[in-house]
This record gives sequence, structure tokens and C-alpha cells, in this order.
Amino acid sequence: MAYIAVNSSDSFVTLKINNSGTFASATLAMADTANVYTVPALQEITVNATPGIFRWKQLDTLSENALTTSSTNSVECTIVLDDSTFFEQQGDSYGIFDTVTGKYLTYFRLYWAGDGAGASDRYIEGSAYLSALAPTVSPDSPVWTSPITLEVVGDFTSGQD
Amino acid sequence: MSIRDTIMANVTTALTGTSVSISSELPWESGGTPLYEKNMKKFYLSAASKNITQNQITLDNNDVYQTETTLTGFIAVDAKNEPSDISTIISGVLNSKNSVTDQFILECDMTTELLDDRNVYTFNYRFVTIN
Repeated sequence: MAYIAVNSSDSFVTLKINNSGTFASATLAMADTANVYTVPALQEITVNATPGIFRWKQLDTLSENALTTSSTNSVECTIVLDDSTFFEQQGDSYGIFDTVTGKYLTYFRLYWAGDGAGASDRYIEGSAYLSALAPTVSPDSPVWTSPITLEVVGDFTSGQD
Repeated sequence: MSIRDTIMANVTTALTGTSVSISSELPWESGGTPLYEKNMKKFYLSAASKNITQNQITLDNNDVYQTETTLTGFIAVDAKNEPSDISTIISGVLNSKNSVTDQFILECDMTTELLDDRNVYTFNYRFVTIN
């Protein structure tokens, strides 16, 4: 058993995205390195993988029955806005703001504990639409931050590299 | 210009023509007694203290830091016969916080304390800026 710590520089949670075009898979999109960029200054991240459940009751049993329906998958983050990646194009990929407003399909890969040189870094990947962008700033917290949700299209895929 | 210099310059302007003068010296102690207790009706301002803390914590060390600067000002007056313009003096010192620029928090609060026959006004300045 080994827990997943993210408190050293080689194990920082890393979220990479590419929305420069259409790819057959997220793996191919991540291989297009010139158009992949890392979302900086993540403050928190939550992975949601929730199978839908259909429940019903029968007169001949004392407990409900259940079966699964389609899953709802998403990744919720909070970020400190970075001037460059928020507004500017990164390679052929759109900045975060344009990605949301343009509703571009985005391929992503989330490394759970860093993207090092070895082949053992665990990740999940997929395609998603970015939503729930709500930048905010206040006198008591005078730095722009924003939640952002990756509404995943289809399945998460896990792997190591 | 340092924050201390800015406040000193502004307080000097604000208190011109009042019954309180300005000392450019730090409020050091002489014989165990602070200068502002010895020299009544003189404004003293301490050196600045700084504290750097995290304003926004991130998962990849792209943290946002803030610097908090605090200073303390002192005026002692005769407790029995306070200057008639003491309220003008107090508001002048309190409002001098507004002369400091590039800070997102500018605060100054005042407390009073009776020490023997003196009334000591203590002004606590607090400024916070994003690094």
C-alpha cells in the first residue's frame, strides 16, 4: 500500500490540455506536444466519476434493487488565473477563456502525482468541454481565481507514462 | 520612498500648525522610558516590520504571496490638559494611511492609555500588498 502524496516538486498534480483540433484519442492529443499546455496554479482539483443508478422496489423483496446507468464524469478545479494561459493561444490551442466561450472540445490528461521522466506516473485522460468558469476577485482576496469544470465526454481512461 | 518616509511626510503636513510636532527619531528608550513619554506633544513613528505570507496556495508552488507592513506611531499629551486640537491631530495621523500607495489594505487604528499624568495615543498602521 502506498498513499499518493503531492507535496514535492516532482509530484505536483499536473493538468495538461490540448484543444488545437480533433484527435482520435486523448493519448494522441497529448502526443501532439507542441499544442499541449499545462494549466498552472491549480488550487484544488476533484475528480468525479459517478455511475448513474436506477433503483426499483419489488413486492417480493425487503430491499431495493439497483442497476447502473451511464456515468457522469467530470473534473472540477480551482485555479489562480495566469495571464498567459488564460487569455493567450498556446501553440494552436486556445487559452482557457476562449476555450470556454468558444465551446471547443478539449483533450486533457491529469497526472495524479507529477509528470516525471520515468514511465510510472499515473494519469487519467479523456476529452471534455470546459465549463463553470466564474473568475472572481475581491478587496480581501485581490488576485483573480476561478473554478473551472471539465465536463468529460465519455469515459476516463487511466494509464502510466 | 519607504512607507515610513511616506507616512512621516504626510503626518508632517497634516500636523503643521497644530500643537503637536514631529520627531524624525525612532521611539527608542532612554533610561527605560520611551522618548514619546519624555517628550510630550511629539509624534514618533517606529521602524517598519514586515511579514510575508501566502495569499493563495497552489498545488504546484505557483503560490501568490502578500507582504504585510506594520508600523506604530505614538503621541503623549498631558492627561489633565489635553491640547484643544487633539481631535484634529488624531484624524490627521489616522488619515495619513491614505498617502501610502500600491497597497490593497490600508488600516490605522488608535488606542489610548493613561501612564501617570500622560495620555499616550498609539497608532497601529497596517498595510498589505500582493508581491
